[in-house]
Amino acid sequence: MANTVKIYIDDQQYDVPAGMNLVDVAKFYADNDIPVFCYHPKMEPVGMCRMCLVEMGTVQRDQNTKEMLFDDAGKPQVRWMPKLQTACTQLVSDGLVIRTGTKVVEDARRNVVEFLLTSHPLDCPICDKGGECPLQNLTMEHGPGTSRMYFNDKLKLDKHVPLGDLIYLDEERCIQCARCIRFQDEIVGDDVLAFNERGRALQIITNSEPGFDSYFSGNTTDVCPVGALTTADFRFNARPWELSSVPSICPHCPVGCNTTLNTRLDRDSGGRAVIKRVMPRQNEEVNEIWICDKGRFGHHFTNSGDRLKEPMVRSASGNLNVTSWGEALQAATDKLKAAGSDVAVIAGSMMSIEDLYTVRQLANGLGSTRLGAWTPTHAGADIVAQVGVGKGTNLSKLGKGDAILVIAADLEEEAPIWRLHIKQAKDRGAYVVVANARPTRMDDFASHSITYKSGTAVDALVHLDADIAKKLQEATNLIIFAGAEGLTLDGSRALMQAAANFLIESGHVGKPNNGLMATFPGANAMGLYYLGYTPETTREIANKPPKVLIVAQAEILEDDPTAAQWLDKVETIITLSLFPDDTAHKAAIALPIQSFAERDGTFTNGERRVQRFYTAQGPMGEALPAWQILSRIGERLGQGRAKLSAAAVMLEITQEVPAFANARYSELQKVVKQFPLVGREDLYYGGTAYDNKGGLGVQIPTAADRGETVAPGSVTTPAAPKTKKGQLLVVPAVRLYNRETIFQPSALELMAPRIPQPYAEINSADAKTMKIKDGDMVQIAVENAQPVRVRAHVNGGAPAGTVVLPRHLMPDATTPLAISVGQVSKVEG
Amino acid sequence: MTLQQKYTERIEKALAKYPDKRSAVMPVLHIAQEEYGWVSPEAIIEVAEICDMDPTQVKSIAGFYTMYSKHPKGKYWLQVCTDLPCALRGADQFYQELLDYLGVEDHGTTTDGLFTAEHVMCLAACDKAPMLQCNFHYQESLNMEKMKSLIEEWRAEAQKK
Amino acid sequence: MNILLREKDIPNIHEYDVYAKNGGFAGYKKALGMKPADVINTVKASGLRGRGGAGFSAGMKWSFIPQTEPVKYVAVNADESEPGTFKDRQIMENNPYQLIEGALICAYAIQAKAVYIYLRGEFWDLGAELDKCIEKAYQEGWLGKNIHKTGWDCDMYTHLGAGAYICGEESALLNSLEGKLGQPRVRPPFPAQKGGGLYGEPTVVNNVETLASVPFILDKGPEEYLKIGTKDSPGTKIFCLCGNIEKPGNYELPLGTTFRELIFDHGGGIPNGKKIKAILPSGASGPIVPATDAVLDTPLTYEDMGKIGTVLGSASIIILDESVDIVWAASKMTKFFHHESCGKCTPCREGTYWLDRVIDRLMAGKGQPNDVDLINNIAKNMVGVTLCALGDFAANPILSTIKHFPEEFKAYAQAQAGIEEKKTASPAARTAKGNEPGTPQGRAGRHSPATSTPAGD
Ligand SMILES: Cc1cc2nc3c(=O)[nH]c(=O)nc-3n(C[C@H](O)[C@H](O)[C@H](O)COP(=O)(O)O)c2cc1C
Ligand code: SF4
Ligand code: FES
Repeated sequence: MANTVKIYIDDQQYDVPAGMNLVDVAKFYADNDIPVFCYHPKMEPVGMCRMCLVEMGTVQRDQNTKEMLFDDAGKPQVRWMPKLQTACTQLVSDGLVIRTGTKVVEDARRNVVEFLLTSHPLDCPICDKGGECPLQNLTMEHGPGTSRMYFNDKLKLDKHVPLGDLIYLDEERCIQCARCIRFQDEIVGDDVLAFNERGRALQIITNSEPGFDSYFSGNTTDVCPVGALTTADFRFNARPWELSSVPSICPHCPVGCNTTLNTRLDRDSGGRAVIKRVMPRQNEEVNEIWICDKGRFGHHFTNSGDRLKEPMVRSASGNLNVTSWGEALQAATDKLKAAGSDVAVIAGSMMSIEDLYTVRQLANGLGSTRLGAWTPTHAGADIVAQVGVGKGTNLSKLGKGDAILVIAADLEEEAPIWRLHIKQAKDRGAYVVVANARPTRMDDFASHSITYKSGTAVDALVHLDADIAKKLQEATNLIIFAGAEGLTLDGSRALMQAAANFLIESGHVGKPNNGLMATFPGANAMGLYYLGYTPETTREIANKPPKVLIVAQAEILEDDPTAAQWLDKVETIITLSLFPDDTAHKAAIALPIQSFAERDGTFTNGERRVQRFYTAQGPMGEALPAWQILSRIGERLGQGRAKLSAAAVMLEITQEVPAFANARYSELQKVVKQFPLVGREDLYYGGTAYDNKGGLGVQIPTAADRGETVAPGSVTTPAAPKTKKGQLLVVPAVRLYNRETIFQPSALELMAPRIPQPYAEINSADAKTMKIKDGDMVQIAVENAQPVRVRAHVNGGAPAGTVVLPRHLMPDATTPLAISVGQVSKVEG
Repeated sequence: MTLQQKYTERIEKALAKYPDKRSAVMPVLHIAQEEYGWVSPEAIIEVAEICDMDPTQVKSIAGFYTMYSKHPKGKYWLQVCTDLPCALRGADQFYQELLDYLGVEDHGTTTDGLFTAEHVMCLAACDKAPMLQCNFHYQESLNMEKMKSLIEEWRAEAQKK
Repeated sequence: MNILLREKDIPNIHEYDVYAKNGGFAGYKKALGMKPADVINTVKASGLRGRGGAGFSAGMKWSFIPQTEPVKYVAVNADESEPGTFKDRQIMENNPYQLIEGALICAYAIQAKAVYIYLRGEFWDLGAELDKCIEKAYQEGWLGKNIHKTGWDCDMYTHLGAGAYICGEESALLNSLEGKLGQPRVRPPFPAQKGGGLYGEPTVVNNVETLASVPFILDKGPEEYLKIGTKDSPGTKIFCLCGNIEKPGNYELPLGTTFRELIFDHGGGIPNGKKIKAILPSGASGPIVPATDAVLDTPLTYEDMGKIGTVLGSASIIILDESVDIVWAASKMTKFFHHESCGKCTPCREGTYWLDRVIDRLMAGKGQPNDVDLINNIAKNMVGVTLCALGDFAANPILSTIKHFPEEFKAYAQAQAGIEEKKTASPAARTAKGNEPGTPQGRAGRHSPATSTPAGD
């Protein structure tokens, strides 16, 4: 443990951990808010704004004994420094003494605020930050009451500078604290913001092409202590004090970022409470205080006019007609009764634990255990349940002596906040190895990059370079992040097993900060596993289609163009979906469900943390929570009384499903005091993030955590698909911004320009033989599916013999689910 | 031709001075300015590539320093020191006379594009006021007479090329 | 006595052969035969104080370098940008090998891997000449690998700045060298400490004149050096004399010479029979002193300048004669600091701008009666709270001119707009546009205050 030191703040003695930042310590241990503008607890101090000036000194010591000297009254004898010192640049050490409440300190604070306000436009009435502005608050607390600066002497600068499509800069409001610049540089590793000019002319610029376009750009508006940076989404949209705050969980990826949904009753949405913005909520072990831009701006689907609003049932004439819930539920009940046990479920990972449990109960009640997970791209959740990262894992603690291996995954695109953690772990000295068949952004943060032939990730891991393997094995802590890029479902299982073996054999399981992480797509993929849904079952369902298939928020046709062939063989499809998607169009009964924002529920993230989200906005149309729909059908089927609340469902889950035994809502919503204290009323400290009042969640222990012996399993490397002459391997890749169904056109305002035009990466050598040039239109034909037409990118993004085809960039046609063989040819256009 | 191609040797030499590429950004910016007459947007991109930096950072560096011109300049960039020591020896008046002679405003460029006149802070030549820098070469102990003949010299030089 | 400006005694000492023939590199050679720690002790014993401004003991600074660190650097501060300073330039132009020798002695003493000479960007031609001298030093075996078989390698490079006064501040200088913004760093860690120097490695930053003084100390011994100057300020110093003076220029004299001797015996007095009014002993950054008899008889030493409420700094001595309008002089200096503030810290960035605005209004005859108190208070609020000393420097011209010449300010503050064109007896008719040199470069429109004034003068 860190040794403690004695320090004195305003004549009070405190024992605090050595080497910590003084501002943090004063706040956390002494409840003393030293005001700051430039200091941010997540970034290196720079001492720029001078707001944190305090009187500082050290306790004098006896020349010989080195003991601290005290006067007769027991007060330390202090040698004061002649000038005030910045608290933010000071680490605590034994005998440090500060005074924060004296007149000199108060004067200094007032003067700094006065200096800042000389250039500030004082346009609070029209400022988006008004009401939650550190500058406003600190001016109230420390500033002068009147202005001595002539208004006409103020600088007149640009007030609407778009730094990119998402972030706007008001140059007049900027107080040059450099938090945004430092965030991009230190935390993200994308130094696309900087100061231009100098002195009072200093201003934030970007010169990157396209503009400020980082996946994390929204966070700069949180850390900005004034209204200089605002998001295109929230600008002029609402006043902070009108907003309600509801704790939530981001539904987009396995990280499971804790968020706060700020809602307001909205005239434009028919008086419903709707989301006005999404803000990060502190959970140090998950997302600290950051979220990615998809999480922040990708909420509009919940209010999309394209949502499925009413239940529909197919009539005898073959049309899907709007109907009442009563009729729709009865129709579903009838179909299910008729099917008997010939029923199967395919569920997606945006379904909550409560939903998944209820649909499972429904199927089980009918005598079916055929539960398929969607998408069936990543296998091995069972392996994660054995040797996943240990309970108490905190990625932001990894550093010197630790190691991270990322294989067959592009975390920047698949799980952005994990990638943020890895960047910082690397900066703290962790050994990071990135292995993939193609170059990815992750290489920028790698100590070592390994390139292997497409489809051979398993071999690459099994036959790791001896030196690298040794370094990984000997690391204090080791985490392996495994994806499924370039792998078939079986390949993906083999990779997970190989990774597990590596971890088990080198002793990196069953303890915090060690173990396996998988980039299973979606917010609740581990939830799918714990409730018995597997991708292998999905494959089995496709091979032997049931009479009735319940498709629970799984966009089968959007994800897999070949699925139509077996879906056609299903007699009755019942869909539960947010949108009238392609699968719903095939359904006999299409039921509208509520989005994560409209109801209560839980997700289990990639680290197996069960986390709660709460009802934030009014329901869309007649949509109901999926668990409620299923529960009511169950009642009609005679399976017992329908549940009335998500909490009631969860209570039953805790009793019935061992993995969730500790996941009672009351447990999930517990919060401990987190360091640093971010998100409280003192907005100046950590920015406009939210304190966590909704709960930190509960992590499900792995078998290794529970002390069970976990043994390496055998790895059977499935052969990669063989290509014949003229054929290439088609490798689907994940992009963070894409055209998945939740990004319906009407929800796309902000996202649309961020989504790349459909393209495929082709190796330059292959392109040459095929006479394809960068920018040419090419056709990619995969067996059983409509050919895809996209632009060729010939710039080193694909290894020889493969085309990398990002998923979901096309508005209609889609990419194969897993690695496959394709024919590529140049076409006109 | 790119800077990299045209000034290979000088760029290599600049890069060789430092343990990392970024440190060479100032000398390479000087080279770019010499080539283009100012730090143009294209120059920023080129320098960024040479020094392995984000263009934003290069622009930031160029923006901080006054010797990197963010706008095209006349062929002869005249920078007259009018700081206190020089001003005590008549530099303000000298500068005004120079402006009048060239027929330009402060920071202005002559219509023929030959001369840009600016006044700058102390150039460490206070004992030889009035003085100026023409394209970073010192001209000291000036008076208008000397100045006029220098201008004519430069005009003639420019015509020859 | 010329230890530094030796060209005054020895023609062509800028040539290698001449320099070598006249005792050049003897000090370095001696040093190479000594243990590095002994070299440091020798310099320490000489009492040599830094000539860049702060007057800190050079030997002491070198001794702070942790010898256990494998990589160390020397950075030569040749940024020379303080208004009124032009001494380092003369040393480098006329006696370049002596700087090279001094820097190498320092490099050997701390076992540095390389020496970077940071020249202000305007020293373009000088940089090219220095490069040739460095090349020559390599050829002569004073630089490079295994120098004089000591097993020690050292390289030397020049680096040109690009127009920023702040890059003379040592930590800003290091940032600038690294290709980062030339803004000061938080200290500690200091440049001499791990984490604080160039590329995070322990680094000695010394002024050109400081280092050029070292060869003498090594060659002749510290005792000889101590014989010159005063006890607390030993040695000679170059005094840059400029402004209203008959013979402006650099004068190398023992520390302890009085103002009167410097100005009247060496500088030839005030031109045109005018009287001396005030002195800026340290360019724009040190407090002004009225040229009273007591002041004129004060010896120019680090310790004595404190007694008359100013500093020796880099001894860039600007003379103001009786016709100079002090408020005008203060406004010139304020513009300088406004222009040169790096913008990193609040009081300096905002304070220099604000001061400039108010003083403009005073000069334009639009002042308010309480404007003098206002600028005095703004300046006071800048003192002691900034990240680097530039904030303090910027306050000095205001605080000290108001302190010593309050009536002149009052006259401006009371002049109502349009009533009376100020009785400026300043040396030149100030240009109407002469306000914002350098940077704004065409963006004036965007960044100028709402009022179309800076006008005024
Ligand atoms: C704003 C500012 C500007 C400075 N400019 C210079 C300069 O131009 N030349 C210089 O040698 N020192 C300058 N200094 C002092 C340096 O920071 C540093 O003290 C000096 O280089 C140390 O060298 P010395 O010990 O040999 O004097 C400046 C300091 C400040 C705060
Ligand atoms: S005092 Fe001025 S120059 Fe120094 S760091 Fe602060 S803003 Fe920059
Ligand atoms: S200087 Fe300490 S918070 Fe800004």
